[in-house]
Amino acid sequence: MSYKAPDEKDLEAMIGIVGKNYATNNKAITASYLAKSVMGLESQIPDIVVRPKYTEEIRKILIYCSAEKIAVSPISGGLSGGFACPTIKPAGVLLDLGRMDRILEIDEANRYAIIEPGVTNGGLWAYMEKYHPDWAPPIADGAPPAATVMGDAIDRGFSLYTSSVGPQGDNFMCAEIVFPNGDVVRTGSWALPFAKPFYKFGIGPDMWSFLMGSQGALGVVTKAAVKIYPHPKHKTVVAWGMSNPYDMQNLTLEVGHQEFGISHNTVMVQGGNYPLVMTRWPKDKVPHDYEFFKEIGIPEWWMNWECWAQTQEELDYVIKRINSMAEDFKKNRAQDGAAMKPWELHPKQIASRMKKPNKIAVPYSFWDAGFLFITWYTPWNECAEFAEMYNAEMEKRDIPPVMWIASIERCRQAICMPIICFDSTKDEDFEKVQDLNAVTTEYSLKRGWLNYRPDPFIHIQAYYQAGMYWKYLRAFKKLVDPNMIMHPGRLALP
Amino acid sequence: MAKTGMDRLNELKKEIFKCIHCKACRFAYSGEPSRKGIGEFKGKQGTVLYEGMVDSCPAGIEYGWEAFWNAGKIWIARSILTGDLEFSEEVRDVILPCITCGQCSAQCENKIPTVDIIESLRAACVESGIPLIDKHALVDRLVKERNNPYGGQAAERLKWAKDAGLGKFVNNKDAKIAYYVGCTASYRQVEVAIATAKLFEQLGMNFTLVEDEVCCGSPFFRIGEVNTAQELMKKNLEAFKNVKKVYFSCAGCYRTFTIDYPKWMAEGEKLPFTTQHAFELVAKLIQDGKIKFKPNADLKGKVVTYHDPCHTGRHFAVDMEQEMIKESKNLMFDSRKIKQKIDEWFEIPRVILKKLEEDVGIVFKEMYRIKLNSMCCGAGGGVRAGYPDFSIRTASLRCDEANAVGADILTTECPFCWRNLTDANDQYNHGMTVMGVLQMITEYDLLDIQQKPTEADLLGKK
Repeated sequence: MSYKAPDEKDLEAMIGIVGKNYATNNKAITASYLAKSVMGLESQIPDIVVRPKYTEEIRKILIYCSAEKIAVSPISGGLSGGFACPTIKPAGVLLDLGRMDRILEIDEANRYAIIEPGVTNGGLWAYMEKYHPDWAPPIADGAPPAATVMGDAIDRGFSLYTSSVGPQGDNFMCAEIVFPNGDVVRTGSWALPFAKPFYKFGIGPDMWSFLMGSQGALGVVTKAAVKIYPHPKHKTVVAWGMSNPYDMQNLTLEVGHQEFGISHNTVMVQGGNYPLVMTRWPKDKVPHDYEFFKEIGIPEWWMNWECWAQTQEELDYVIKRINSMAEDFKKNRAQDGAAMKPWELHPKQIASRMKKPNKIAVPYSFWDAGFLFITWYTPWNECAEFAEMYNAEMEKRDIPPVMWIASIERCRQAICMPIICFDSTKDEDFEKVQDLNAVTTEYSLKRGWLNYRPDPFIHIQAYYQAGMYWKYLRAFKKLVDPNMIMHPGRLALP
Repeated sequence: MAKTGMDRLNELKKEIFKCIHCKACRFAYSGEPSRKGIGEFKGKQGTVLYEGMVDSCPAGIEYGWEAFWNAGKIWIARSILTGDLEFSEEVRDVILPCITCGQCSAQCENKIPTVDIIESLRAACVESGIPLIDKHALVDRLVKERNNPYGGQAAERLKWAKDAGLGKFVNNKDAKIAYYVGCTASYRQVEVAIATAKLFEQLGMNFTLVEDEVCCGSPFFRIGEVNTAQELMKKNLEAFKNVKKVYFSCAGCYRTFTIDYPKWMAEGEKLPFTTQHAFELVAKLIQDGKIKFKPNADLKGKVVTYHDPCHTGRHFAVDMEQEMIKESKNLMFDSRKIKQKIDEWFEIPRVILKKLEEDVGIVFKEMYRIKLNSMCCGAGGGVRAGYPDFSIRTASLRCDEANAVGADILTTECPFCWRNLTDANDQYNHGMTVMGVLQMITEYDLLDIQQKPTEADLLGKK
């Protein structure tokens, strides 16, 4: 499919919509939106960047670009999270939604916050800490504070409560979406003009879910209602160490299988292996041998349960139950029970794990010069196999085997995230990473695993395998985006 | 052979490629989202919520585009290195309005030396033949003609000393210690120069004011005119070659001599003297019990706050961190030591302020953004000269923060910060007094010497 490369006349049109201070084709400014890291390596410099403030401006931009057949890629406040799919070929217009950063309403009784797409994790967190301290938003854990709440949702991401209540997309009740055909659609109960955002499925069927994972390829979400949850004072982290991913997987599943009670108290359930710690430091400034990490008390593999409770009594009960279940597992069902032990965390380690939002996922460039998250969803009881396969492939290529795994919805799914630390100044390292991605994708798709934020080139095979689904996805896109201008290349569309 | 900006940019390539565009660098306290603050405050520049992390990149706040926040500039640098972008006036106009305050560097989990990258990018831009903006070209011409960017007569550089009865210190050949005054204190904020020299005199220091002193070159390192900067550096190294120690009252000059000169000197060359800011000496003498302060009725009960100059605060802290990382064999173990050293560094001016609180009766109140997370005054990086309105608005934002804690007096330890904060205070009616800490000590005659400092105290190595 061919697209028009926007010219001066198109820039004038954008300026006519948003004003001269908010649209530009300045080459230095457009280049600054590149992001060949973390989530993908294919970023391109956009031709024009526009920074709209209002829904109506976005509607006019999309109508114009659709008529002119100019590609449009929306990003929210954070480039590395969120609508974090930077512009790819063909470049076209980049919509930077960072100015749409208003927190419009917090309703404690009905437990939602209405936000715009540029509202950041850190911004919403600080605001609620100050004005609604008993409530917390489901912000992404590990994503930088500048990443946006909305972006994490639309990527089907992982958040503070995901292990307990389900995928981040499920934390969104209603949304306002602008489609390139010029329609502004309100989903869920918002479909009715005077309704509160209290019911995601609205008058049915649920259109919001169609936007989940859309990577900005269908329309622009300009407003959304996100669930907020109690922010109790009684919290801690329980952690167990083990020697292999299977014991981590199986013990965690036993806790998640409880479904009620402690499974709901464990808001964040995430673990990994010792290279997760090692690669946060420059590779020539830290020992690589596991013996060193063992000596300082870091398990080879571990699982953390972050527990939130309304009372100390309830919290004590949760801790006791997890520990007794782990002891029982160690004794009776573990592959390597001898290696299993509780990881006694220092209060500072607990505080650091509970800090939200945080920069935990950021320092992996420190190891060398760049990194990439290639994230997959698997059924929980297949995550150990995923880790074993992926780590072996990384080691084959002299890439440190860094693996982070978290539970979604009480171990219904696992989000598995190998962190690929490499030297992004070297072309050969880029090729090595792409080869790793291709080989592991082939294996994973055969196993029926799904990519989180699929990359437009290597992971595209997933859509071809899901032929019938993709047919309807394409048909829906055609309906709302008749000239296929939204983020071409994403979702194997057009 | 001296390095070029492009040489430096290539040396920094791996650092540049570490940026993942996470944008934590736009905030102060980016790692402390739950930090308790002072709530919302409506100031002259709008309302700011001083809680958790706060947008603190002045250029990003002013211009909004991604290119003006730090991460955008790092990706511009990367695009230059990969050939995706060429230097042009468009590039220049995006990379120049940055105060190089280093807030970004302090926030970066990947320890990217952002200020170094931006300065090298500017130097490479100038080398590529892109002209300086008019206002920078003017100061470049002035410094080439008169050795200072203000256009003052060279013969009048030390006029303030003679006028203040400090003439005996001019070209004092016996002294092993020099006071490098700097252009701003010599030609504009002479109060700072007088206060510092009088303090040294009261302490019994035998020091010299060097008539051949020229601009330290700071503005020219910052804007990328490194040839001019290196010429000035050579003149100063020659002028000060016979002393063992050089004291400073200006944060920018101190940073330039201590951090920039060694970086831009030829391989293997070292500074022939040690350097120290006057406030380090005063803090040390307080800690050693050799000085204290007299009570003062005019100051008693006044709310005093302190603005950390970026050049003495964050820039030194980040430089220390980079050096310690280089030397470390196991950074997991050494990171705590680095943090401790940085904490100690930021405590130095606070030793003086806390002593003033104890002895004089001022009420010392910290602003929300302090130390490593301090908000810039808006003067540095060539911004005051090149983009004066933006510069003063930034200073006013900082004054808002001082107003938010009810400050009567906003202190700092840099004449350049002092100038900008004073201008903003006046222009936007913030209603405070802005002064240097050492200036306060001298003007209110607060110094109470318990024991004269020894030569070892005065010459003590950093």
